[in-house]
Amino acid sequence: MKDVESLWDLFQRRNVSRRNFLKTCVTITGILGLSPSLISDVVSAAEKQPLVPVIWLHGHECTGCDEAFIRSQSPFASDVLLNMISMEYMDVLAAAAGEPLEHHLQEVMKKYNGKYLLAVEGAVPLNDDGIHCMVGGKTFVHNLKEVAKGAAAIIEVGSCAAWGGIQAAKPNPTKSVSVSDVVSGKTIIKVPGCPPIPEVITGVIMHYTLYGQIPPLDSKGRPKQFFGNRIHDTCYRRPFFDSGMFVEKFDDAASKAGWCLYKVGCRGPETYNSCGNLRWWNGLSYPIQSGAPCIGCSANNFWDNDPFYNRMPNIPVPNAIVNADQVGIVAAGALTAGVVIHGALSTIQHKRHHKETHETENDNE
Amino acid sequence: MKRVVVDPVNRIEGHLRLEVVVDEATGKVQEALSSGTAWRGIELILKDRDPRDAWAFAQRICGVCTTIHSLSCLRAVEDALGIEIPKNANYIRNIIEATQMVHDHIVHFYHLHALDWVSPVAALKADPAATAALQNTVLEKYNLNVKGPIEFDTEAYPKEFPKATTVYFKSIQEKIKKIVDSGQLGIFSAQWWDHPDYDVLPPEVHLMAVSHYLNMLDRQRDIVTSHVVFGGKNPHPHYVVGGMPCSISMNDMNAPINTERLAVVDASINMTIALNNYFYIPDVLAIGEIYVKQGYVDGGGLAKERVIGFGDYPDEKYSGTSNGDFHKNLLLRSDGVVENFVQGVDKAVFYPFEAKDLSDPDVLTEGVEHSWYDYPEKDKDKDLHPWSGVTNPKFTGPKEGSKTDWKYLDENGKYSWIKTPKWRGKMAEVGPLSRYIIVYTKVKQGIITEPTWVEKMMVDQVDAVSKMLNLPPEKWLLSTVGRTAARGLESQVMGYISKYYLDKLINNIKAGDTSVANTDKWEPSTWPKEARGVGLVEAPRGALSHWVIIKDGKIDNYQAVVPSTWNACPRDSKSGYGAYETSMMDTKVKIADKPLEILKVIHSFDPCLACATHLYDASGRQLTVVHSDPYLRL
Repeated sequence: MKDVESLWDLFQRRNVSRRNFLKTCVTITGILGLSPSLISDVVSAAEKQPLVPVIWLHGHECTGCDEAFIRSQSPFASDVLLNMISMEYMDVLAAAAGEPLEHHLQEVMKKYNGKYLLAVEGAVPLNDDGIHCMVGGKTFVHNLKEVAKGAAAIIEVGSCAAWGGIQAAKPNPTKSVSVSDVVSGKTIIKVPGCPPIPEVITGVIMHYTLYGQIPPLDSKGRPKQFFGNRIHDTCYRRPFFDSGMFVEKFDDAASKAGWCLYKVGCRGPETYNSCGNLRWWNGLSYPIQSGAPCIGCSANNFWDNDPFYNRMPNIPVPNAIVNADQVGIVAAGALTAGVVIHGALSTIQHKRHHKETHETENDNE
Repeated sequence: MKRVVVDPVNRIEGHLRLEVVVDEATGKVQEALSSGTAWRGIELILKDRDPRDAWAFAQRICGVCTTIHSLSCLRAVEDALGIEIPKNANYIRNIIEATQMVHDHIVHFYHLHALDWVSPVAALKADPAATAALQNTVLEKYNLNVKGPIEFDTEAYPKEFPKATTVYFKSIQEKIKKIVDSGQLGIFSAQWWDHPDYDVLPPEVHLMAVSHYLNMLDRQRDIVTSHVVFGGKNPHPHYVVGGMPCSISMNDMNAPINTERLAVVDASINMTIALNNYFYIPDVLAIGEIYVKQGYVDGGGLAKERVIGFGDYPDEKYSGTSNGDFHKNLLLRSDGVVENFVQGVDKAVFYPFEAKDLSDPDVLTEGVEHSWYDYPEKDKDKDLHPWSGVTNPKFTGPKEGSKTDWKYLDENGKYSWIKTPKWRGKMAEVGPLSRYIIVYTKVKQGIITEPTWVEKMMVDQVDAVSKMLNLPPEKWLLSTVGRTAARGLESQVMGYISKYYLDKLINNIKAGDTSVANTDKWEPSTWPKEARGVGLVEAPRGALSHWVIIKDGKIDNYQAVVPSTWNACPRDSKSGYGAYETSMMDTKVKIADKPLEILKVIHSFDPCLACATHLYDASGRQLTVVHSDPYLRL
């Protein structure tokens, strides 16, 4: 990859100090969720690995994922765009429009054939030869296939690209599908979410640019470092679930006390995402922390897993004998016994969770 | 005569195609067409869903004006079910909406619009010391001296302030130079940087503006911190029918909202006000004044003839929209239609637009003459009210090229997935410019006798800028520059609106009211068998309405008539051209192959095409063919 530079080359060329370079590497190590002991590996990777050109295409989408991308705090969007990747085509931010922009796309595809990273935002509508999404006078599905040919890897940014998203919800009027439904023979990284957490998007891109290889993926193609756990697993309200302390309706006393939202429909127990640990705005909040049940926006076909405020069926509650309602009554009615119950339930929950992790791998994606 | 196609139009939301026919000798645009080229069918997907979930679906119409469609949806559902939201929920929703307006406007100006005016290449010629001096002058000269009411004044000094030092501008310039030298221009690639209009501004203004482009790219996220605190995330924060999910408590350690959370929002709003006052307003006025003084006052288009608005920001609780109560205590009374502002505010003609007009079959209608739909034989050449519309998709393909590989679209036939909405059979423009024209006219003509602080501030802003330019409002406001400036002025007002509602929230909590949700009618068993409602919002891009019919606890029909549909719609033989098309034909193009002026005037509307084309015609029936009408019919 002679045409492209390493991060360290770029920093040198832009007169950025070694100190700043190292600071960036430390930040990146944190974003990627790597141990501080790996900082030297990150530094070494950033020195040697080439900087990757990125092409970002838009299909059937709402541009919420671009907006999420520019919300990234670490690294800042400006640092990603100007110092860390070479964003060669992205019509939302590009200065150019129309023919010059499309011509530039063709040149970039030629120059970096087999080397560019393709980020796709949006689903691919197939109905009626794909005419429900036309870009540059051609169908999006046509453009996508053309650009995908020379991509080193493809990132499906957001639930629309990864699963089909909202336009694929029933009755799916445009017959929209995911990118991986129409592109084959390529390495595809799924980064679902509606939208994904900003630092998850930039984190995946950074992983690739630093190591020159895709991050470790789970069986669905999602990066394990961001989608390895369910939100429930790291939810700060988990102790209330384990203790059977639930919000019964919005703005009740339990809502004010921040108890578990499972009974008002929370999808945290089945949703693989980083909301519980990374949270939004670098730890500021996530829907559950703001009192709103998770709607499972990173899960496949979550739109048809509605109504959202209905309690999810088939989630074992933290007691082998009673159901959630009974646990709630016990917890609310016999506060003195709460500590004892909590201890017992936590033990059961631990065992159940261990079992469930193996059983529920395929139940909701 | 040269026909030029711009597709894709960049720096917008969604998929837009423009075709213009330019007389190369005079630069006059003889013909212009605007086409929405994608359709997703979200309202069709909303049918048969639980109305309490609808906000989440409607929200995904657009991720740029994220939250605006969910708000309009919630107001429609609550109107239908007769739910009055608590005071705190109204305040919190208004904070979310007003901060969204600022965010949307700032990102539009700096990241979606600035590169039409400002060039990184031109910035290389700037003298960094002169740029620092310029920054100081700009800050002192372009200060409108307006201020909203602030009760809890928590900020000791402005934390966000432009850096006006030589070294700073030098470092930015060096960075740009290295990017340009490398040939790897990334997002700055392939633009017509040699276009003569990039010479209108001095190099120092380019360098200052490019610095602010980068600065704002990294600051914009902090404007919508309130969305993350109250709604858990952004884009697409969470709501609940009946109010907000973010319960308030000062007695519980784990409450979603407590004093610390409100302090986080407060700091974000203080910063937002500063970004408007010290970056956005000075920048937009400095650039605008140079353009206006050099005679760039074209692009006004339809705004000269007719603008429409609905009004927004309920000051206190309201019992519903369709009963007229929503309109009784608004801070921003931009509801109405103004014609002929081009003759000056005295000669402008005002028409009220009231809640009852929403259901009047003669007030709002839609035509499909140039849209890829067809009406049945009996209504063939009619315009239909949204409630009596029908679905007859008719994709006709392009004029030249094939169905899946277009060369030119057919301006004489059908050419867009967007339909043509009309007010009393006429076209109208919507957006910040429209809101300013309406409020200014209503106040100056005495239609509003007691302006709210918001309305007074809007009038003061317009008068201050008119004085600065030494031009009456109709001479500068009705142009590409004016449309862009109005958005900046509005952003400044919205910063103070955010603070105003946070003050009200704090006072109400102080008075002992912590309620955020009314759940009396949460259970479908409490709902009527059939109900219909409407929700109005003054969205970043203009007047927005969502319409819902709920039957047996499910959504029977859903409709949205959105701002970019009003502006981006195709022409009509009886009513003339839509706002985009009129504005393009009111714009001079210097170089036909490089129609920078066309991009500039279209970007001045802040196009949002997913909003414009998601709509469909739904007369309650399941669509079997998918090329459906993008408008919803009830």
